[in-house]
Amino acid sequence: MTDKSGSQDAVVIERTLDAPVELIWQMWTDPEHFKAWYGPDGATIPVAKMDVRVGGTRLVSMEMQTPNGPMQMWFTGEYREVVENERLVYTESMSDENGNVLSPADMGMPDGHPTTTEVRVELEDVGGRTKMVMTHSGIPGDSPGAAGWAMAFDKLAAHVRQMTADQN
Amino acid sequence: MAIDEDRLSETFAALANSTRRAILARLAEGEATVNELAEPFEMTLPAISKHIKVLERAGLVRRGQRAQYRPCALDAAPLGEVSTWAEQYRRVWEARFDRMDDYLTQLRPQRRTGEQDD
Repeated sequence: MTDKSGSQDAVVIERTLDAPVELIWQMWTDPEHFKAWYGPDGATIPVAKMDVRVGGTRLVSMEMQTPNGPMQMWFTGEYREVVENERLVYTESMSDENGNVLSPADMGMPDGHPTTTEVRVELEDVGGRTKMVMTHSGIPGDSPGAAGWAMAFDKLAAHVRQMTADQN
Repeated sequence: MAIDEDRLSETFAALANSTRRAILARLAEGEATVNELAEPFEMTLPAISKHIKVLERAGLVRRGQRAQYRPCALDAAPLGEVSTWAEQYRRVWEARFDRMDDYLTQLRPQRRTGEQDD
């Protein structure tokens, strides 16, 4: 087991893309570009409102075709860091079409599931190409028990790994 | 999707309580009886038993079959599923970035290929 699999509450992905940082920045901040790649396969992004400045809000809808007809999901959030062509940090929560945050309980999720997650995008120019590091993490402490949950879970996972190692 | 979402919900719900996490942490050190598990808590045995039942339903705790004694033991398998669940998020993002890559290629069909040349 690696350390990577130990961080259960964050996804970190690094990519090097064959385009300048200015264009990659637009991929995240220009709604028309964003719509082109963001949705899962088979989904569309009918709405992408982005007020890209610190404290500005975003509202994104995703429409998927299901056997029961189209299903629409809404996500809202706030920009926390905006450093053009370098760093973009925003929060994300499920919401209704007016950007009212829906609690995990509303969505049928159990207590302790983070209401809000954070997406952090860091860009670096590498000889005309762009190194992009995206970190998507839960925000501890924004929902009751979430922080304690994440901490205890890390400890527990360490215990379990230790146990598994001892048994082998 | 290979992951059983209901099962995962149950796992998360079970982990979302400090008493139950403490019980799991104790069991990570070795099996224990309900009485032993109850010791550190100012709780009645029935209250502790209730927590253990939640953990059992989530598949995180197994109970021995020996009558009366029936020690509790940790079952780590559902925790493996939780990490797989995090992997699901990873796959969503990987797919997105694959599409971003394709889209970037579409944006510059006539762009020169010798980009390494200075």
